Amino acid sequence: MAATLWLAGESALLPSRIQMAFTLATHVLLVPLGVALPSLTLLMEGIGLARQDTVALKIARRWSVVMAVQFAVGAVTGTILSFEFGLLWPRLMARFGAAMGIGFAIEGLAFFLEAIFIGIYLYGWERLQPRTHFLLGLALPPAGLLGTVSVLAANSFMNTPGGVKLISGHVTDVDVMAALFTRSLGYEFWHFLIAIYMTTGFIVASIYAVAWLRGRQDHYQRLAFAVPFTVAAALTPVQLVIGDLSARALVADQPAKFAAMEITWKTRDHNPEVVGGLIDGSGAIHFGLAIPSLDSLLVGYSAGTVVPGLSSVAADARPSIVEANITHLAFDAMVGLGTAGVLLAAWYFWVVVRRRRLPDSVWFYRLAALAGVGCYAAVEAGWVTTEVGRQPWIVYGLMRVSDAVTGAPASFVWTMLATLVVVYALIAYFFIYLLVRLAARWRREDSLGPSAPEEGAPYGPRPAKLGRVGS
Amino acid sequence: MNDLLPNLVALILLTAITAYSTAGGADFGAGIWDLLAGNSGRGPEARRLIDYAMAPVWEVNNVWLVLAIVLCWTGFPPLFYATFDRLYPLFALALIGLVLRGAFFAFRHVADNPRTHRIADLVFGLSSVLTPFFFAASLGAIASGRISSGSVLEASFSPMSIAFGLVSVAATAFTGASFLVGDARRYGSPDLVDYFRQRAVAAALALILVGTVALVVIGFQTPELFRSMLAGPGLPFALTTMVLTPLVAFVLWRGLFRWYRVLTVAAVGSLVFAWGFAQSPYLLPGRLTIAQATAPGSTQIALLAVTLVLVLVVVPSMGLLYYLDQRSALESTEH
Ligand code: HDD
Ligand code: HEM
Ligand code: HEM
Repeated sequence: MAATLWLAGESALLPSRIQMAFTLATHVLLVPLGVALPSLTLLMEGIGLARQDTVALKIARRWSVVMAVQFAVGAVTGTILSFEFGLLWPRLMARFGAAMGIGFAIEGLAFFLEAIFIGIYLYGWERLQPRTHFLLGLALPPAGLLGTVSVLAANSFMNTPGGVKLISGHVTDVDVMAALFTRSLGYEFWHFLIAIYMTTGFIVASIYAVAWLRGRQDHYQRLAFAVPFTVAAALTPVQLVIGDLSARALVADQPAKFAAMEITWKTRDHNPEVVGGLIDGSGAIHFGLAIPSLDSLLVGYSAGTVVPGLSSVAADARPSIVEANITHLAFDAMVGLGTAGVLLAAWYFWVVVRRRRLPDSVWFYRLAALAGVGCYAAVEAGWVTTEVGRQPWIVYGLMRVSDAVTGAPASFVWTMLATLVVVYALIAYFFIYLLVRLAARWRREDSLGPSAPEEGAPYGPRPAKLGRVGS
Repeated sequence: MNDLLPNLVALILLTAITAYSTAGGADFGAGIWDLLAGNSGRGPEARRLIDYAMAPVWEVNNVWLVLAIVLCWTGFPPLFYATFDRLYPLFALALIGLVLRGAFFAFRHVADNPRTHRIADLVFGLSSVLTPFFFAASLGAIASGRISSGSVLEASFSPMSIAFGLVSVAATAFTGASFLVGDARRYGSPDLVDYFRQRAVAAALALILVGTVALVVIGFQTPELFRSMLAGPGLPFALTTMVLTPLVAFVLWRGLFRWYRVLTVAAVGSLVFAWGFAQSPYLLPGRLTIAQATAPGSTQIALLAVTLVLVLVVVPSMGLLYYLDQRSALESTEH
């Protein structure tokens, strides 16, 4: 009886949105390392093989373990996401599964390959010829890339749907290629791809920046800092250019999202760029710094460019005021962090090119130590911009979030959400604990001689002796 | 001819479910034996073997599950909608079980204090029982043909769903024990070989018993499904299970260590196929056929293409991984 009562109640829209946001935001924290760490590891292994550098090989071997732990957690959180399409948004796939599902099918294929080749790569250390090992590892980056492009294809379909023929709300025909490669995939893919390589480069480098600050400045530390940092720093300015392209594409593709990003109320020319600040229900801006005409200039390179405002879209087809403010602040955070990254990169290359050595300023390493975390924040902010800015649509212009939500009662979803929050906190704790313990073990082993770090890791080879795995 | 494409995709979907039931089943089964091992006698040693057997593969089996879901929503959107719309309690419970299991499997490697270690063992073991139960219960609820009548709770927890759930617990215990015999042999531990051999035989008997009860339930609840399982398209698979399960028990009982793992997979796999074929061409018995639920032809072709690539690329890669795994096992015995 109590169970029946608990299963009746109001719409689950709010908890469903919170749960989706929570689980996606968690999953995406794992994605950068999952996709890009294999490339960095292979780069390090390649350097080690070419120069016969055992230090580089040791670094690569340790990174491969982090990669595997990371992948295992990504697999759990990703499986949950797949279920959520049924548990939270069953009507989305009922209507569009035939089109946006194909991206997910390719994603499944890609993860299969990743899982298998991570296994092979971990087994292969010292069990395969070094060259064979390296060559087999080369399967990992393309597999990660395939996974990324196919998930983003599904997300882009939600932003700029295409390739479907609808008759009274039902998909009757699908043009597979057109549904996979929708307009926004062009910018979303490159922007996200660079974001994950930047994030990985900066986060890995930041660990060694901290080590530098603590006085460990030998060859091992310098190499492990310089390689990932250089890659990430070189990508940062490129990211700004692509981000700018995305923003300008949105003017045509999703004008309401663009208006929310810039908290513009009325469609107009000479539109100012508001940095920070909030909009209220009457369209007035509070706080923030308005730079005259800059928004129009950025969009069309002339102050006379007309940019869309929120009020040009029907109230029930655009983000609410709260959502617009969230979108705007998230967008500003992303752009701010990106700009800060460019400044840091400029400092780095200035020293490296002019003085032919790594910077030795304590402040440089302090900022470098923060760059990784900053990138994660930028990635989260970017996704909030994309997803909240699309409201109230789950598939832009074709289906509302409220029409996609499950018929399950709110209490059910709240309970599921609470459970997931608790379990995720546990997982996060183990994950971090495991990484900290690995690092401690490696430091101990540095004084002891050769070891096989990959034994007992998820996907790693079985240890030669039967014992407590992982300890 | 028009039905060929959707039928093929439905077959692939059934195969993915079967792969998860067997590969994932071996994993869940290991967790069940972990729960039952206890802390005295050979228990702790058996637990160590279970850890050893499970650690490397950890969550890779999830890919089968994800593949099944994706095939379902892409290939047969109305089926996906109908099942999740009505059976969400079962899926939510299975999902929570799945995450708890992963989290606490990791936790017990990290827990240092014996009490928390025991709690971690317990949660891991219990979720290993509950997860396959709820997944299979959803198949039972589908098979009952009544997912849209009555309340959500009535649709989710019916005699059929409970019967399917129990069969799957017995089947995973059986698969798990049979594979652990292999791991114990590989590790050269005769004590544990005997330990898991006895348990595999017991689980086979339990499976036969629970399977018979489930057949009776099916006979009462859905006579049509019963007929096509024992006289229709399900028959060859039902027969295979009925012959192979006792055969594996016999082989292991006599200590003839040949083919037992392949036969176990065939026995449990046929069980899933028996259900799938018996209810074809219906996805939801009495309500929704494969032809009615199918996505447009272009989507089905895309799914077939993805599957083809999967077979062409993944199967050889998996072979390579397996080969390396076996070779490294050889190496570690040489040491
Ligand atoms: C390292 C991370 C990072 C950095 C420095 C930036 N971005 Fe970004 N941005 C992302 C990481 C990101 C992201 C997380 O990857 C998003 C989310 C969705 C997507 O495709 O990429 C994103 C989305 C995103 C969108 C929404 C696209 C859509 O809705 O389809 C726009 C308009 C921008 N970005 C623009 C910019 C601009 C103008 C930047 C700098 C000046 C910038 N981004 C820096
Ligand atoms: C990976 C990084 C991502 C993050 C951090 C993210 C973040 C979010 C957030 C914050 C929301 C809630 C929006 C709101 O309710 O106001 C949301 C909703 C949603 N997202 Fe994303 N998202 C990501 C990627 C994706 C991808 C790749 C897909 C699908 C392929 C997706 C599908 C959805 C769906 C279905 C919803 C619910 C409906 C809606 O609110 O529009 N998301 N996401
Ligand atoms: C921008 C968005 C996303 C990207 C780039 C992405 C990428 C990845 C990557 C690289 C992995 C492998 C695990 C790791 O290396 O950490 C992974 C796992 C997974 N992701 Fe995501 N993901 C995204 C969003 C989603 C969404 C929205 C779903 C929901 C369907 C999803 C489903 C999965 C699944 C099922 C797995 C586990 C695969 C396995 O078992 O191996 N992902 N994802």
